[in-house]
Amino acid sequence: MSDQNCFDFRAASSQVTRRSLFQSVSGGLCGAALSQLLGRQGLAATGLLANEKTSEAASVQTTAPSDLKPRLPHHEPRAKSVIHLFMNGGPSQMDLFDPKPMLDAHHGEKYFDKIAGEVENPHAAGALMRSQYKFGQHGQCGMWMSDALPNLSQRVDDIAMIRSMYTTNITHEPAIYIAQSGKMSAGRPTLGSWVTYGLGSECQNLPAYIVLDDPLGLPVNGVENWDAGFLSPMFQGTRFRTNGAPVLNLKPDVERPESVVKDERQLISRLDELHQRQRPGQSILAARIASYELAARMQLSASDALDLSQETQSTLEMYGIGREPTDSYGRRCLMARRLVERGVRFVQLFVNGNLWDHHTGLVSGLKSCCERTDLPIAGLLQDLKQRGLFDSTLIAWGSEFGRLPIAQLSPDKDDRNAGRDHNKNAFSVWMAGAGIRGGTTYGSTDELGLNAVGNRVSVPDWHATMLHLLGLNHEQLFVLDNGLKEKLTGVLEAHVVKGIMK
Amino acid sequence: MRNNIRSFITAFVAVYCLLYCRSQLIADDEVLSQDESNAADVSYQTEIQSLLREKCFSCHGGKTRKADLNLATAEGIAKGGESGALIVPREPEKSLLYEKIHSGEMPPDEKDRLSDAEIKLIERWILNGASLGDSKDMVSATILPSQHDVIPIMLRRCTACHGRHQQLANLDLRTRATMLKGGKSGPAINPGKPDESLLLQKIHAGEMPPLERLVEVSVKPIEPAEVETLAKWIAAGAPEITIEPDVATSNGDALVSDEDRNFWAFRSPQPVDIPSVRNVKRVRNEIDAFILQKLESVGLTLNDEADRLTLIRRATFDLTGLPPEPVDVMAFLEDSRPDAYEKLIDRLLDSPRYGERWGRYWLDAAGYADSEGKREQDLPRPYAWRYRDYVIRSFNADKPFDRFLLEQIAGDELTDYENAPEITQGIYDNLVATAFLRMTPDATWANITGYVPDRIDVVADEIDVLGSAVMGLTLKCARCHTHKFDPIPHRDYYRLVDVLKGAYDEYAWLKPEIRPGIGPVSEDVIGGRSLPFVTTAERNAWENHEAKITEEIAVAKANSEPEDRIKSLEAKHQPEPRIQALWDRGDPSPTYIYRRGDWLTPTDFVGPGVPSVLTDGKTPFVVEPPWPGAKQTGRRLAFAQWLIQKDHPLTARVHVNQIWLHHFGSGIVRTPANFGRAGMLPTHPELLDWLAREFVHRGWSLKTMHRLMMTSATYRQNSAVTSQHEEADPQNQLYSRMPLVRLDAESLYDSLLLVAGRLDETPFGPGDHVQSRADGLVMPVGTERGWRRSIYVQQLRKQLATHLESFDFPQMNPNCIERRDSMVAPQALHLLNNAMVLELAEHFATRVIDLAGAQPSRQIEEVYRIALSRPPSDEELHIGLEMLTRLHNDWTKQLSTSGQPDSAIVQSKSLAGYCHAIMNSASFLFVD
Repeated sequence: MSDQNCFDFRAASSQVTRRSLFQSVSGGLCGAALSQLLGRQGLAATGLLANEKTSEAASVQTTAPSDLKPRLPHHEPRAKSVIHLFMNGGPSQMDLFDPKPMLDAHHGEKYFDKIAGEVENPHAAGALMRSQYKFGQHGQCGMWMSDALPNLSQRVDDIAMIRSMYTTNITHEPAIYIAQSGKMSAGRPTLGSWVTYGLGSECQNLPAYIVLDDPLGLPVNGVENWDAGFLSPMFQGTRFRTNGAPVLNLKPDVERPESVVKDERQLISRLDELHQRQRPGQSILAARIASYELAARMQLSASDALDLSQETQSTLEMYGIGREPTDSYGRRCLMARRLVERGVRFVQLFVNGNLWDHHTGLVSGLKSCCERTDLPIAGLLQDLKQRGLFDSTLIAWGSEFGRLPIAQLSPDKDDRNAGRDHNKNAFSVWMAGAGIRGGTTYGSTDELGLNAVGNRVSVPDWHATMLHLLGLNHEQLFVLDNGLKEKLTGVLEAHVVKGIMK
Repeated sequence: MRNNIRSFITAFVAVYCLLYCRSQLIADDEVLSQDESNAADVSYQTEIQSLLREKCFSCHGGKTRKADLNLATAEGIAKGGESGALIVPREPEKSLLYEKIHSGEMPPDEKDRLSDAEIKLIERWILNGASLGDSKDMVSATILPSQHDVIPIMLRRCTACHGRHQQLANLDLRTRATMLKGGKSGPAINPGKPDESLLLQKIHAGEMPPLERLVEVSVKPIEPAEVETLAKWIAAGAPEITIEPDVATSNGDALVSDEDRNFWAFRSPQPVDIPSVRNVKRVRNEIDAFILQKLESVGLTLNDEADRLTLIRRATFDLTGLPPEPVDVMAFLEDSRPDAYEKLIDRLLDSPRYGERWGRYWLDAAGYADSEGKREQDLPRPYAWRYRDYVIRSFNADKPFDRFLLEQIAGDELTDYENAPEITQGIYDNLVATAFLRMTPDATWANITGYVPDRIDVVADEIDVLGSAVMGLTLKCARCHTHKFDPIPHRDYYRLVDVLKGAYDEYAWLKPEIRPGIGPVSEDVIGGRSLPFVTTAERNAWENHEAKITEEIAVAKANSEPEDRIKSLEAKHQPEPRIQALWDRGDPSPTYIYRRGDWLTPTDFVGPGVPSVLTDGKTPFVVEPPWPGAKQTGRRLAFAQWLIQKDHPLTARVHVNQIWLHHFGSGIVRTPANFGRAGMLPTHPELLDWLAREFVHRGWSLKTMHRLMMTSATYRQNSAVTSQHEEADPQNQLYSRMPLVRLDAESLYDSLLLVAGRLDETPFGPGDHVQSRADGLVMPVGTERGWRRSIYVQQLRKQLATHLESFDFPQMNPNCIERRDSMVAPQALHLLNNAMVLELAEHFATRVIDLAGAQPSRQIEEVYRIALSRPPSDEELHIGLEMLTRLHNDWTKQLSTSGQPDSAIVQSKSLAGYCHAIMNSASFLFVD
């Protein structure tokens, strides 16, 4: 991380009043300068709350974050940054990470009647189906992994596998809402926004929360995947495209001479200064000027951050850049490293559409997904290690749900083209890097891989764990809304998964 | 609990069954419990009862029963509360009672907490089985399930195919009577003989419900426990008991007290005296007296009146969402009559642009969108625009707000539209208005996202809209439990659910219409959510058009005209005009309170009603059919009529607060969607009550309220911030100045079009399409006439126009009462770099050259007149001239590379750059 972009952590996070907050607009904040309206959380400061019961919480909210300065976490953090590799679609856990010999033993037996309520496409439901992939034990830890992931298999000592994830919906859209925001509806703040809200940014020229989506298309739920919901839009994810101008509207749609653009900018800033001078005490105007300054800085730094020509050939090769089918995902993995290096807090990578959604054609489909992503991800882990970023970066790989042990038959009813239907009751995810005990295999599923049974991990547990590693307590990270503490983990209890940590 | 004896006896049996089973288990596993069994027995009568009396009765006993819990009697303890059973005998760790006192959560006041010894005592009592002493004799071995235990099971598992929408095999399983009647294979049940009951035989044989077909009708398989309940009920002779649903009676209300009703927002607005103030000269109307009184109490007064240029720009944006036209500015400046300003306000209120501005606020509150959202397909709502037009027309016509609400909540119950000889504009409006309660995101059109819980979510969102937009209450909190802050019991939420049930029945659901190619077909759909009742005039016009086309095609075919010609004629067919609406269909399913919001745990049977705290708690909520012989329940009509009573505690207050918020930048209650105890108190409670009463007395006229507020001295003051303000009123809670505000998304977009001369003011009709670029930019599609105002741009949830989204246009999940007002870099990037903004700047420049000619200072003056409704200051003119010259040089140099540049091109390009900068400037974006 470059030093000149760092704030003094403690000074910046000391208590601020609304007034001093207004006066301290430095123009050096990412994504936005300042929300001039503190919104509902700020209201509590006025002491006009109707109910004294809420006044305690209200006093906490007086200092609710409304900028992107770095903030002190709740406890000593293990991770400074997160790279979230979201594998939308629902990768098949029993073909990748969770070997099920009983599926071999019972292959071909009818099972549908026992799980009818859990199947999205009953007419296509087939019998129990074994995996076509070969599992082996890898690394010093002996973690099981299938031969679909030959490169990740070599790095198992760096990762902690959770085999006992479960969620609560078997349809992509609601399940992805849950995975991103903890709740089954659109318009809630996502994990990355909560993290940015809680910790602010360590970088002044780039947004704190950056999304690298697939040039082949948006994931399911589109831009809602990085929504800030009821948090300020400054905590929303900013989409960086991996080719062309990285940010929407970052470059002019119409080419104009540099001198014209420069003079126009100068004209705006001269008029704005005059306008502001005639209106002393209007803090909103300082925020507005700062937002124009930041826009200008972003135009320079965003392009630089994504400029892969600055990398060596061997680095590019490590990520599989320059050859198919790894080039696209490899680029995004390498960009993720470059962004984390520059102090970006939360980087999220997506694959297009429902890439891992193998209702049919599981064997070939899964293989192609793995071929696109396996080498780049292994390269990313290796590169982060080489550069000393591995211990401060949390890498999380996961999806919205898993898949069923029974086959889903294609219309031709040919077993060779079979796939698997969605399964909300069991799936596998992994984490690596900051604070994670590599080589761990955590939790278990039943003998068919249908249900998580041992050390079950819910989506809120998984969220709480990521927050914990970043130094945030999921119970204390909230926004007060009408007396209710709105949290990422919701109203039910969530548990940090200590079993995967160092 | 006067509700019904059944529920507590059932619960009682459950507790004792548990107790019995547990004791069996304990016996098998005695080693573990040796310690406990040696402990001295704890007596309920002598030890526990007195402890509970001391610590808990004040909230959970006798008259007050928070969380529907009564600890005063053994029955009450056995029944538990709205969070479920209180005690699991022999398992303190699983017992809610122990959990609450052990964690210190209860009693809420720290000084009342139980001592360690007392907590131990409760623990031991539970460990020993939580005996309730002699009261267990009350348990009768003959208590059996009734139809109220069985009907919910039928609704969950069976009635999708054997119920209201379809009666496969001629079978309807919704009531005992129809079960007895049976279907084509005979009666479904044989009371007293479970083995001979067809219903159970089919279930046991695994034939019903048919597993492979369940997903098609969004049903999950039946559970063994449900089959058991059903068998028990049939074995007992399928008993039916008569219980009245829980509605308000004259017995008072154990869940809401008179003290609860005494909170300011739950009492009717009170008559208030107009306060006297020192600086009487500043008082233009009553509003100023209320405002000045508070200001004077902290040593402040109102700011000076803003100058006329400021006033006309402020008032025009405020009422029309657009800047004043130069000609209007001139007229206002030259008007020397004493009431020139009042006349200006009247002119603005008469402008058709007014409805497009203020209607938009209401569309936010309603959560208006042109698509269903939630799923990738983002199914379009092709008729939603009619509701948008209805809202705009209602505002322009100054439809009284009480009538406006009545139509939106119960328009379908105002006239017998199905039997009307003619669909008049009035009937049409009534029906279109009901789309108000059809606006929330909804994916129930697909079977996999159309299960009962998904449907309940839709209803919950509608109740949230009603609560936040109309009632200023966070009703949604009471969906799973009694509200934590406000006296809204769990029960009252389900009374509202029952109010909506005639139209929103989760067991007989009307799904959004699926169009070809989108989503799987669902089986239990009838109709859809649109009605054919457009006005007779519109229908006739459509029918005539169709007849004409059909005729022309027939003629063309008869003449063997070319295929192309026939195809082009066929393309002239228009889809049938329909309206999106909500209507009562009669015969709703029964409503049960869902414990913890879980549809699998229905408990008490409730009827329609309104929140008890907003009533005297005694007067029953009376529902009558809307007209003799109507199939409609009349529930929403009764609800709407209750809501628009003149002395309703919330309706008028909540709405005048919203009007105030939009004029003055913040509400008198600064939490406009929450007037409850976790909301804010009003900064000026007397003013709020005075305004609310005025609103009602003046016929619920919005325009009257605008006039009143905008002609006040408070509204007419300038926006300067002084050091005194920073000391005594830093957040402007006392309205010591007008706020400086940024244009909202629509005003900015519409203004850019207007100043560029590219605003197409064609009103109404289907929304204009948007176009998505590969990088995610979403732009409205224009025509040769330009672009229409943003309110007429299609609002697709997954494709919001980038401009609107960047400038805080809300995601409707489900609605928005107060927009956020952010200041982020993407806004700057959009205005600086977006092609449409650049194009508009060029149009603006062309317009200026046409009006002002080639002289730069004249051009600059014209730019200011059009864009900022005022002349430039000397300094602004100076900066303008200097920069215009530089831009001129830039372009001359640039264009000289290919020979002598055309001076007209250089001029227009440099002026366009200047215009672009003005469109980006703070002066353009902010209103004083």
